[in-house]
Amino acid sequence: MNRLPVFFRWLIVASLADWLIGRTFTRSAIFMPKSPLVIGIYQTLGTVGQVAATLTDLLTLGALIWIAWHERRTRSARALPLALVGLMAFNFASLFAAPSGWFAVARHLLTLAAVATLAVRIGMGADRASRKIAAVLPALAILSGALYQTGIAAYQALRVPDLPVFARALFDTGELLVVLSPVLLWWTDRPTVRGNRSAYVLAALPAIAFAALCIANPSLSGILSIWSIGLTLYLPWPLYAVSLWLAGVTVIASLRRHDPAGFAIVLLAAGGYAPQLSTHVFLGVIAVWLLASAGEARAVASTPSPVNEVQSSIVPQSLVTEGTGP
Amino acid sequence: MITRSRMWLAGLIVLAAALTLLKIPVASSQGVTLVAYQVSEDLPVNDPDSPLWRRVTAVQVPLSAQAVARPMTLGTKVQSVTARALYDDEQVAILVEWADDTQDDSMVRVQDFRDAVAVQFPLVEGQPFFCMGQQGGDVNIWHWKADWQADIAARQDMETLYPNMHVDQYPFADSNAGLAAGPATYTDPNYLPALASGNLFATAQHLSPVEDVIAGGFGSLTAQPAEAQNVHGYGVWKDSRWRVIFSRDLTSQETADAQFATDKVYSVAFAAWDGANGERNGQKSTSQWVSLQFGGPVPEAVSEPALVTRTVEVGPLAFVPAVVITLLIFGLAGGALIVFERSQRK
Repeated sequence: MNRLPVFFRWLIVASLADWLIGRTFTRSAIFMPKSPLVIGIYQTLGTVGQVAATLTDLLTLGALIWIAWHERRTRSARALPLALVGLMAFNFASLFAAPSGWFAVARHLLTLAAVATLAVRIGMGADRASRKIAAVLPALAILSGALYQTGIAAYQALRVPDLPVFARALFDTGELLVVLSPVLLWWTDRPTVRGNRSAYVLAALPAIAFAALCIANPSLSGILSIWSIGLTLYLPWPLYAVSLWLAGVTVIASLRRHDPAGFAIVLLAAGGYAPQLSTHVFLGVIAVWLLASAGEARAVASTPSPVNEVQSSIVPQSLVTEGTGP
Repeated sequence: MITRSRMWLAGLIVLAAALTLLKIPVASSQGVTLVAYQVSEDLPVNDPDSPLWRRVTAVQVPLSAQAVARPMTLGTKVQSVTARALYDDEQVAILVEWADDTQDDSMVRVQDFRDAVAVQFPLVEGQPFFCMGQQGGDVNIWHWKADWQADIAARQDMETLYPNMHVDQYPFADSNAGLAAGPATYTDPNYLPALASGNLFATAQHLSPVEDVIAGGFGSLTAQPAEAQNVHGYGVWKDSRWRVIFSRDLTSQETADAQFATDKVYSVAFAAWDGANGERNGQKSTSQWVSLQFGGPVPEAVSEPALVTRTVEVGPLAFVPAVVITLLIFGLAGGALIVFERSQRK
């Protein structure tokens, strides 16, 4: 992240504040006694969360514009910049005209096109196969959620008086991929326990808290999860706990070595699954772009040749990391 | 030290705060939308079998057990509802369907509970808590009740269930009424305190099976006065399925009512109760918010497909299809990867 524009760092912080304060912590207010002091505190936090959400909106748009410009300048790409600009255009158009019919379908298809382009780029990249699979998994999760939403929008556009086929299975598949993503991202590098003891311990804390909540009140944890991150917790809860733990380990270990995988996980978590807001969809797209670019950067760095001098300009130098895995 | 990037950050924060305070959105909704279609003919407010309903797209809304406030039933039965919406120049109508093996439309015995369904609209900007709203975030709820629907056809009382019961006398009622003594036969309504105080539950004759209420958090549910009850309802149980239509004027004189302008997008949430499962009050299934949008004219009928009857069952093995699809994805992706890498080696 060092040489990415500085607003990428701001985006990470703002999206975390939006997610944790605006969409998680303030929503626990419904469980609190409503004394005037508590109400005042939560109203203040709510305002902070709303400002963080708007800041995230602005920074996300800035990041998308930068990515489109960077793609066009460094690799003369057309499809991805067009898709990103199109997504932003749809976002602004949707502020004035409610998205429905083919308008909504086109918008979802554009999301699918952008993420699919990045997924193909990851798959066709020269990175290790295990890394490619790990990096493509979040893209597939986003694709599943977007396909689920596209199906509903397409049925409405086609005026089909029925429900999309496989809608539920598709949604559930995406959630399973969301759970598997951190596990595979962790597996590709497998940070050693000896060198990352504090990471394993720190990351275990939210996972233990989540497990305790699931045991004490499974439905409550489900409601909070749906409301903050979009996961329905239909799978056995230990899977989510393990995934959360390994996600934490990967984020901390990645931060230490400036690997964008950690930032990508944070953005994916902040965006949530099958998101309801355009900004959260954009966070997912940015996260997958970070993973794709990091894969390319690693491949460039691991094959020394004069060509790399040229290729290395395609991806931000900050994404060039060796990794610590096997 | 004030660097250029810090100035940019400060400017962005100020801009974000200003946009937030001025309520100028930058992000747009991308979730599931229930589209209401415009009709030129009369709205089928009492006819769930109307062809008009068959011509509009349904939205399936998943529900889950209310698990925040006690009492709660974690094993609620209604796991999803299917919703359709129509509107004309004056009214909006919403058809809600869900699977229910039993028709529970009597509340006469203390051990019986009714089937019911509710739709909810925020009375504030944004989306308050999706279950009954929250402090400072009131919601308007239209609560259809199966027993009220049955009461409209024929008022139910103890003698409905126990036709051979004997009563010597209902005090303060017209003695000639005998077993047929009802609220109307009381010489002084003050002897029926609930009726005298305007409690809708004690009404001798329900004008609508829908109770129009407001809430601002758990324990705050408040019925609107009888004269402000302006939501029409009609429900039918057939083939193990309830189909309930809510309808109301797009605009209302009541400040506690949701108002609808057809050029705006609203939020709507659903809740359902299965009386046979002992579900009542907070023991219910609820949905999250879904967008409600007023769209174009209802499409012309191309065919006459049957209304949706498919339901989504969420059992302990619900994740099996997802696992199978995931394995397929992995298989295909892995295969493509192997083929690609072999071609690269050559």
